[in-house]
Amino acid sequence: MTSTDVVLEVRDLAKFYPVRRGIVLKRHVGEVKAVDGVSLSLRRGKTLGLVGESGSGKSTLAKVLVGIEKPTRGQILVDGEDVSNLGRAERRELRRHIQMVFQDPYTSLNPRMSVGEIVGEAYAIHPDAVPAGGKAKAVRELLDRVGLNPDHIHRYPHQFSGGQRQRIGIARALAVRPKILLCDEPVSALDVSIQGQVINLLEELQDDLGLSYLFIAHDLSIVRHIADEVAVMYLGRLVESGTDAEVYEVPSHPYTRALMSAVPVPDPSLRDQRREIVLEGDMPSPVDPPQGCHFHTRCWLAPLMESRVDPAGSQSRSIPTICRTESPKLGALESPDHLAACHFADDVSAH
Amino acid sequence: MTTDPTRDGTPVPLLQVDDLAIEFATPDGVVRAVDGLSYSVSAGRTLAIVGESGSGKSVSSLAVMGLLQQPPARIVRGSIRFGGTELLSLGQKAHRAVCGENIAMVFQDALAALNPVHTVGWQLTEALRARHGMSRRDATARAVELLDLVKVPNAKQRVKEYPHQFSGGMRQRVMIAMALSMDPEVLIADEPTTALDVTVQAQIMRLLSEIQAERQMGLILITHDMGVVANVADDVTVMYAGRAVEQASVFDIYAAPAHPYTRALLGSIPRLDQKGGGLAVIPGRPPDPTQVPAGCAFHPRCAFAEDVCRADPPPPTVSLPFDRTSACHFAEEVMNHDEH
Ligand SMILES: Nc1ncnc2c1ncn2[C@@H]1O[C@H](COP(=O)(O)OP(=O)(O)OP(=O)(O)O)[C@@H](O)[C@H]1O
Ligand SMILES: Nc1ncnc2c1ncn2[C@@H]1O[C@H](COP(=O)(O)OP(=O)(O)OP(=O)(O)O)[C@@H](O)[C@H]1O
Ligand code: SF4
Ligand SMILES: [Mg+2]
Ligand SMILES: [Mg+2]
Repeated sequence: MTSTDVVLEVRDLAKFYPVRRGIVLKRHVGEVKAVDGVSLSLRRGKTLGLVGESGSGKSTLAKVLVGIEKPTRGQILVDGEDVSNLGRAERRELRRHIQMVFQDPYTSLNPRMSVGEIVGEAYAIHPDAVPAGGKAKAVRELLDRVGLNPDHIHRYPHQFSGGQRQRIGIARALAVRPKILLCDEPVSALDVSIQGQVINLLEELQDDLGLSYLFIAHDLSIVRHIADEVAVMYLGRLVESGTDAEVYEVPSHPYTRALMSAVPVPDPSLRDQRREIVLEGDMPSPVDPPQGCHFHTRCWLAPLMESRVDPAGSQSRSIPTICRTESPKLGALESPDHLAACHFADDVSAH
Repeated sequence: MTTDPTRDGTPVPLLQVDDLAIEFATPDGVVRAVDGLSYSVSAGRTLAIVGESGSGKSVSSLAVMGLLQQPPARIVRGSIRFGGTELLSLGQKAHRAVCGENIAMVFQDALAALNPVHTVGWQLTEALRARHGMSRRDATARAVELLDLVKVPNAKQRVKEYPHQFSGGMRQRVMIAMALSMDPEVLIADEPTTALDVTVQAQIMRLLSEIQAERQMGLILITHDMGVVANVADDVTVMYAGRAVEQASVFDIYAAPAHPYTRALLGSIPRLDQKGGGLAVIPGRPPDPTQVPAGCAFHPRCAFAEDVCRADPPPPTVSLPFDRTSACHFAEEVMNHDEH
């Protein structure tokens, strides 16, 4: 991967939210480690899919990248330039290049603003981004571009369906001609038959405009469809990343394996052939994540490894000491770009 | 309750819905939310009802439970029978009483339905205390049993806790336990896993299947996830704009869908095990319920539509081999159509 291929790079990014107790004094009693040391690169014109259970930190990462939240530590580089080292004006200019499409097309649009006002709003913040023909013309072109009728520019959000509202959200994000679009669950609120329309629109726009996407979704099948590369998050950290084929076909972290196996395949004839790894319990709290490997409390592989290390060990669920004490590093597997953070990554596919 | 097989070996259905039609009076006009829906479910079988948002899945289930607010709703015609009893002629109170003992429902948005000011144990046994005058101590013991049944760890401790102390998946287990508290013969689960992660979804679906098999319950599973349907259903009813457009066994419907909507739906879902090119889509969007198109309601979005589809509604059930039906003028052609 040459560095000019990379449009967005994140190094050791973290975002902690303070936890306060008490109504008057608001004592600081701890921290929610929503994102804790994430490094990743987004390649130009490509799509990086980000998956993981609810609460794993996906939206927080996106909010830090788009500038809604300030990082606790770490660096964000756009086209190789560290955003935090820039002056205010330059930073704003750089920020323009990262725009966001939100999950809920019903609440993410201001109901009192017309479609034209919503889509053109960003020009007020970035006047230099208004194209030569003027704002009104630009907005009409954008609506046309996302498959909406430009004559509907004076209508209000409630006059549109969910899929159309999501198109409005996309037009708004595209107004200032960004390089990068962060899509946070852009289709999960839509009906299956409408999801495909929005996904196809995003793919078309990417081809035509050379956009790069960070695509966040619960739905692993949609990510499989749209992503070139995939990163898997668990409790604020990346546990695996690689090309779409590497992560989906050779999942190398026990958590990724479990996630993949839990997705039901829409083919009844495969019903009994698939082995599903059922993870016990829920994700632990990010206020007090487990020591060592964050995943060890739910890991299905660790007990198997323990019985190999110590066959005479107790019958109850016992975990290798290394999993309980040492946080595994995100390390390369067979290809240098396929990374997994597990002490026993090499054993995952054998089981 | 008789569940003996009839002479030809097919079990007698526990619950049978026939030609059900439901309207709502709204300021924008009359909404025909359900229009001629028929289905049945037998002991130990799972019927999946799938369809787009607004297609009438929840409204028809509320009608089965006797829980429709009338008005604004009105049951225009049809029949809902449990065992031999016609529920719609009972009056809503008696109807609900029959359901209370025999049919239970896990409601859509169940996660918001738990009351934050009462403990989970209190809520689990509310019906038992009210209906059977169960003592406090017996009720607590029963609540622990119920939480054990749905595999909530540490049940003894957790009955004393409040809903906010439960994760989304655990709350859904509580809702299922609540539905099971009266030992129903039929369980209707309305989108039981929609808001949950795949890992938790897998846990909940496994739990439901186990309990169903053990008790030989009839299960009606309302979902939009064609993957879940493929994994657990025996029979499938596909709804579009208030109608059942296709009904078949799960294997038949996936192997050769006989309605263009089903065909398009199955064609438009991305798959985990396949990297495809462009995603097939269904053009347009579901109709405005106050302005359902004339002829076949699906015709503006249909790849098979001809003039007859714009003019005449298709027969509600075109019978096909293997006991399947499709509401399409070209059902047979669609079923035999091979594009893959
Ligand atoms: N403003 C905040 N203050 C405190 N904690 C927060 C805040 N925002 C998020 N969190 C916590 O940070 C963690 C990560 O949340 P985040 O929304 O990033 O998860 P996510 O992966 O996007 O989940 P989902 O799939 O449900 O959208 C969660 O535990 C969440 O409760
Ligand atoms: N109280 C009501 N007043 C008027 N119309 C209603 C009412 N309740 C439901 N409807 C209409 O009835 C139709 C069927 O709604 P229903 O809730 O059964 O859909 P659904 O298939 O369950 O959809 P979803 O997948 O979104 O849950 C919709 O058009 C809805 O707008
Ligand atoms: S490091 Fe240990 S606990 Fe963590 S995923 Fe690997 S085997 Fe499981
Ligand atoms: Mg999120
Ligand atoms: Mg519903």
